[in-house]
Amino acid sequence: MKGLVIWVRGATGPDESILDAIGTVISERGGRVEVFHSEAAGSLGIEADEKAKAAACAMLARHGVVVLAGSNEACGATGGDELEIREIALEDLAGDLAHGEFMRKLELAGLVPPPKHDVHPEEEKEILERLRELGYLD
Amino acid sequence: MLVAPHGGRLTDRQVHGNNADGLVREVSALPRLTLNGRERNDLEMIGSGAMSPLEGFMNAADYSSVVDLMHLTSGPVWPLPVVLSVKPGDPTVQTGDRAALVDTDGTIWGDIEVEDVFTADLMDEAAKTLGTTDDSHPGVQYLKGLSGRYIGGKVRSIRRKELEDFPEYRLDPKETRVLFRARGWRTVVAFQTRNPIHRAHEYIQKCAMEIVDGLLLHPLVGETKEGDIPADVRMRCYEVLLDGYYPSTRVAMSVFPAAMRYAGPREAVFHALLRKNYGCSHFIVGRDHAGVGSFYGTYDAQMIFDRFDPDELGIIPLKFEHSFFCSKCGGMATPKTCAHEAEFRIFLAGTKVRAMLKEGVMPPPEFTRPEIAKILMDAERGVDR
Repeated sequence: MKGLVIWVRGATGPDESILDAIGTVISERGGRVEVFHSEAAGSLGIEADEKAKAAACAMLARHGVVVLAGSNEACGATGGDELEIREIALEDLAGDLAHGEFMRKLELAGLVPPPKHDVHPEEEKEILERLRELGYLD
Repeated sequence: MLVAPHGGRLTDRQVHGNNADGLVREVSALPRLTLNGRERNDLEMIGSGAMSPLEGFMNAADYSSVVDLMHLTSGPVWPLPVVLSVKPGDPTVQTGDRAALVDTDGTIWGDIEVEDVFTADLMDEAAKTLGTTDDSHPGVQYLKGLSGRYIGGKVRSIRRKELEDFPEYRLDPKETRVLFRARGWRTVVAFQTRNPIHRAHEYIQKCAMEIVDGLLLHPLVGETKEGDIPADVRMRCYEVLLDGYYPSTRVAMSVFPAAMRYAGPREAVFHALLRKNYGCSHFIVGRDHAGVGSFYGTYDAQMIFDRFDPDELGIIPLKFEHSFFCSKCGGMATPKTCAHEAEFRIFLAGTKVRAMLKEGVMPPPEFTRPEIAKILMDAERGVDR
């Protein structure tokens, strides 16, 4: 998976849990993920410096890391030729459906791999039963 | 591991059983949009995930992107529009509305969340997707019968098993994927056909089977043009052939409920991508695939694949030249493998074969196996099974 920076506008302080949620999904799919919490930015003394935060995220992404960061405003960062940057507002991620749609966009753009299993194990059992009934399997 | 679906994962817009009954109740009071035969087929294919990553009928942006660039706006290759046309008598709908999708008999097949309603230049669509605006092309005739207004939006599709043809052969992409895994197949070649199966088809299928784990024989049973051999006749031919001449552990047959568009090269790519969703890693592209009349060059449908990056297609086209029985070689061959003159090659045009069958004349066994010829002959002459 190639490096990527995902800026979630409005996701700061308590709202940063959305970053963790997306990060967990990407991590489960094999991505190397870094959630750039405001606390981490604070420890570097750059919590109010959007440009410095963007530079730090870009450095990680150039080494194949998917970086999730919150921002109070449009980050306006550009990736250059090599770096993928996605920006989304927190309110556009509200709810499971919106969250799923965002992940789907990343998948379709080839930035994040899809889930490994295309059929739920319970459903797979039912399908196997049907295939046997139809004579496709012994 | 099987090949990934197009766009990464199978979409699922299908509603079954009790949920389907609930959906019918829920949408029965909504405005009703009428589906024609092709759209009914498309709705089923979207619902089952066969058209992944599509989740509905195309909106204006995807439609234009597909017609002009053969890609969806989200990125994946997609060569043909999948659209819902406004019919005379349809209620007016607008962005944000929900509507029931019904066939011409009034049966509810699903619903749509209207994303947009847009005007299309149908002859531009014909020129770009079919390569012609000639009235004698069945795809052009189809487009000329439409209003020029399309409705885009996500759909839900109701699975109505009681109304399906060939229920014993209906496998959704999820099901073929489970089947392939259960059989231990990692590489699977799909064979698309809307014609009866002759020795030439059998030959190329078996050549392909030499390099993969399994064959999915996947006859198209959606809407076709008048004059094509009916699907039930073709299915009887395939059954006889599979029983007598193929190893059952390496072949599976199920139906492909898509409508034919006769779009030649673009439809060849379309057919390949949909088979990728069914779990196939390879796809046989023969001569004049999905062609009609003389609208396309013999190998146009093979050459179009070279216009794409293999990774964005994600399925390998196996390109075969036309095959024949060579009496001097004593076997099936193609111009790639046989150097003998035309007089030694047994090859008959489809129209000639049909004329022979109608007259009760058996085609040579080197062209069609006698059991198949008998089924076709009975069908041509109106003899019951």
